[in-house]
Amino acid sequence: MTITPEDIAAFADGELSGEREAQIAAAIAADPGLAQQVERHKSLKSMLSGHYSPVLDQPVPDRLAAMLSRPQPAEVVDFAAARERRESKRRLPHWGWIAGPALAASLALAVFLPGQGGEGPAYADTQLAGVLDDRLVADQSPGDETRVLLSFRSEEGRYCRAFSGSAGGGIACRDEAGWKLEALGEGSEGASTDYRMAGAGDAEILALAQEMAAGPALDAQGEQAAREQGWR
Amino acid sequence: MLALLPRLRRFAIGLSGNPSDGDDLCQMTIERALANRSRWEEGTRLDSWMYRIMRNIWIDEGRKTTRSLQTFVAEEAGVGVGGDGAQEAAVELSNVDRAMQKLPEDQREAVLLVMVEGYAYKEAAEIVGCPVGTLNSRLVRGRDALMAMLGEAS
Repeated sequence: MTITPEDIAAFADGELSGEREAQIAAAIAADPGLAQQVERHKSLKSMLSGHYSPVLDQPVPDRLAAMLSRPQPAEVVDFAAARERRESKRRLPHWGWIAGPALAASLALAVFLPGQGGEGPAYADTQLAGVLDDRLVADQSPGDETRVLLSFRSEEGRYCRAFSGSAGGGIACRDEAGWKLEALGEGSEGASTDYRMAGAGDAEILALAQEMAAGPALDAQGEQAAREQGWR
Repeated sequence: MLALLPRLRRFAIGLSGNPSDGDDLCQMTIERALANRSRWEEGTRLDSWMYRIMRNIWIDEGRKTTRSLQTFVAEEAGVGVGGDGAQEAAVELSNVDRAMQKLPEDQREAVLLVMVEGYAYKEAAEIVGCPVGTLNSRLVRGRDALMAMLGEAS
């Protein structure tokens, strides 16, 4: 009877039964070389499980746990990712006091406030306003040219929506005149796959949205209700 | 699903070779699982379903990107995967990480699913989507390669 390495592995992993198991067991009992192979298989197995199992005792990162504990996963993911990025910037190690001011300057460049050049406030153009009026986060596809990242209510109680697209992203809040642009940033291009990570530009927009928001992002129902009221 | 997270992380870290890529992979897996939750059939194993999603994302990502950046990270980050403080142990652990990263994907996932996650061959084969015999031989090839790289220390 030929005994292959596959047989030995299957035997060591407890995959065999009945007659086949008995045959292999007998062969192993008669051949110290085979018995040694079984031992080596088992010791590698325990070494590997010993190597990886400490991961089981580590706390699960908040951003992963948070994805499962709220009703709107897509939004929560982005929110949590934005918070984490922001916090990791705040948690700059040792040399933070040197890099800090430079970093703050680059952030200020990445997300700037429009309409401060003396020309009065800027509003979303027709095309963008159309998206902001109609699109629900839950309904859009990841490849859309302009995507709404999330919606929230500002401290003043206005409805605001963070958006992103290949032409740039930002935050617009609805007032009596239209969608007033509160911030503009670099945004990110839509992805063709069915999952999408927030780009670096999105993360800054989302971080800002979080600072402006009076509460959590609107869920799908909240968005729908807000749309029915014309976001007012 | 929440209860599965520690195990999913372990598999993700094993596949990707370091904790930060592993957690990104976990995040993508959860996103996709939530988006497709209607496709999970009640009564089937949720863990196998999620492992399959994770493994498919990992394979897709691998095809899309060259992993040059990643192996650069893995050298440093992988060392800390299971570190328990003792320097000698830490060095040896990192050897396991490096050896695992040198395995072809199909062998690495077979080794992880059977030897770390403790799946039966049949279940592991279903996750990977191959016949049981194929999984068995990938496992043996991966195992032999690991033993050769790690020497008789194992």
